Amino acid sequence: MAFVNIQNLTYKYPLTKTPALQNMNLQIEKGEFISIIGANGSGKSTLCYALAGFVPHFFKGEISGEIEVDGAASSKSTLDEWVVNVGLAFQNPFNQISGAKYTVFEEIAFGLENAGVPREQMKSRVEEAMQLTGISNLADRSPYSLSGGQQQRVALTSILVMQPKLLVLDEPTSQMDPIGTREVFSVIHNLTQSGMTVVMVEHKVEWIAHFATRVIALKDGAVLTEGKPSDVLTSDLLIENGFGVSRYTSVAREAKKQGLWKKDKLPVTLFEAAEGFNTK
Amino acid sequence: MHERLSFYIKRDSLIHRLNPLTKLVLVFAFIGIAFTFPWYWIGLFLFVFVLIPLAFIAKVSREYFFTATRLILPAAGFLFLMQALFQPIGEEIIFQFYFLDATRESLAFAFTIAARIIVMISAFTMLLLTTHPSELMSDLTRRGLPGQFAYVIISTLQILPQMQAKAQTIIAAQRSRGLDTESTFLKRAGSVLPLVGPLVFGSLVEVEERAIAIEARGFTSKKEKTSLHEVPDTVTDKTLRWILIILIILSILLNLWLS
Ligand SMILES: Nc1ncnc2c1ncn2[C@@H]1O[C@H](COP(=O)(O)OP(=O)(O)O)[C@@H](O)[C@H]1O
Ligand SMILES: [Mg+2]
Repeated sequence: MAFVNIQNLTYKYPLTKTPALQNMNLQIEKGEFISIIGANGSGKSTLCYALAGFVPHFFKGEISGEIEVDGAASSKSTLDEWVVNVGLAFQNPFNQISGAKYTVFEEIAFGLENAGVPREQMKSRVEEAMQLTGISNLADRSPYSLSGGQQQRVALTSILVMQPKLLVLDEPTSQMDPIGTREVFSVIHNLTQSGMTVVMVEHKVEWIAHFATRVIALKDGAVLTEGKPSDVLTSDLLIENGFGVSRYTSVAREAKKQGLWKKDKLPVTLFEAAEGFNTK
Repeated sequence: MHERLSFYIKRDSLIHRLNPLTKLVLVFAFIGIAFTFPWYWIGLFLFVFVLIPLAFIAKVSREYFFTATRLILPAAGFLFLMQALFQPIGEEIIFQFYFLDATRESLAFAFTIAARIIVMISAFTMLLLTTHPSELMSDLTRRGLPGQFAYVIISTLQILPQMQAKAQTIIAAQRSRGLDTESTFLKRAGSVLPLVGPLVFGSLVEVEERAIAIEARGFTSKKEKTSLHEVPDTVTDKTLRWILIILIILSILLNLWLS
């Protein structure tokens, strides 16, 4: 069976009429780097919460169907058991700061303290994780004194340090500059190479095209289409449904109409576009 | 934004090296003795002969005097005046101010109260100046203080300055849209209303997200927690705590015996 298995999942937040997720089916294999795209309100965050156990264990509401990760069913677990295996980081970094710690180092150790990790092991794990995400130089700063992008890295590191089997990231680079985004993507890429499974909500299509193994497009709480990034991100279905596509895709699509784009396949990245325009 | 969100002054001193609980017991010893020891001058005595030397031993005398002159002494002075003038006790009028009068008894009473307040706030100030909040909390949690309780205390201490900063941002934003926050009191009271929404509802969403964030890091895990900071607890600490507790008890007994 797949590492992550979502079966007929339908979920309604309390006091709402329309379900945020509708009859969703999704299988994810170990080591995949999944990217979720979709308009505002299409259910991306809700799907993240469902994978991380907060739907329904934290938000309550009506749920049917099943979510399984590594053979365990969410419905048969408690939240504190579930979060050991599934790590979640989300968009607003400021609200992810625990508020109980005075330095970045302590902040990152917070989860390990809760998990009862022995002190010596804790220190080396925190140092390792900070090295991985490139924030060792922030160790002694107050988490509140950092920029949004730096706080997002701290939030990511705080989850990575707990070594979850499945990492769920809801727009983790929204406040980062291109260099920061690139670094985060390559860190996550390396993690998936060593067996971690990652689900990431992200709008930056060029980076998705470069790193993700699969793209899942959501619409109104259901899967609209999914597949290889180069297929999904250039599909007509996305344009018809008002998704944002890469500017290189748009340019090549126009070019194709005028016979200037000779290849069958449309590009997502600058590199693919340049290469495509070079083929005669 | 501010780097420093706590009073703590990182220095190496005898007092800094004490276990946080020892310092907490010391604070309660100061309070216990100042409030029960049956001697008129006890508050002043503790302040001059114990607290001030302690500030020097702890190498925080500058910071302590800063707090003392800005906060502690003015507060105590105000309390002294109020008590001296408004306590309806005693006969022998020493000082009159319109219809209010200070008697020998009310002055004595005011003096005692003010001295106790000085001792109490000074002792707490000294604790905060010499103890890292994380160490205080992790030591207390290790001894059985519920983690949730420690979290509430310490996050409140940290989040208050954040709230303040946010209120300022909202005020600036509303003012730039023409909101009047500077004229008469009534007008201002009315115009503050639009600030409440963003501050409170913003906070509610924030509270929910923060709850999710700490939960995602296993905050309510049933495992026994460990702590990053090793907080030393020496034989000296234990002995000192017992001595302090005995002093408190003696002071209380003396008080009961004499009254
Ligand atoms: N806490 C909540 N309570 C009620 N409804 C919610 C809540 N969070 C999200 N929703 C609703 O669920 C739907 C999906 O939202 P969400 O998963 O946040 O979408 P996305 O992350 O793709 O923008 C939206 O219609 C939204 O209004
Ligand atoms: Mg969202």
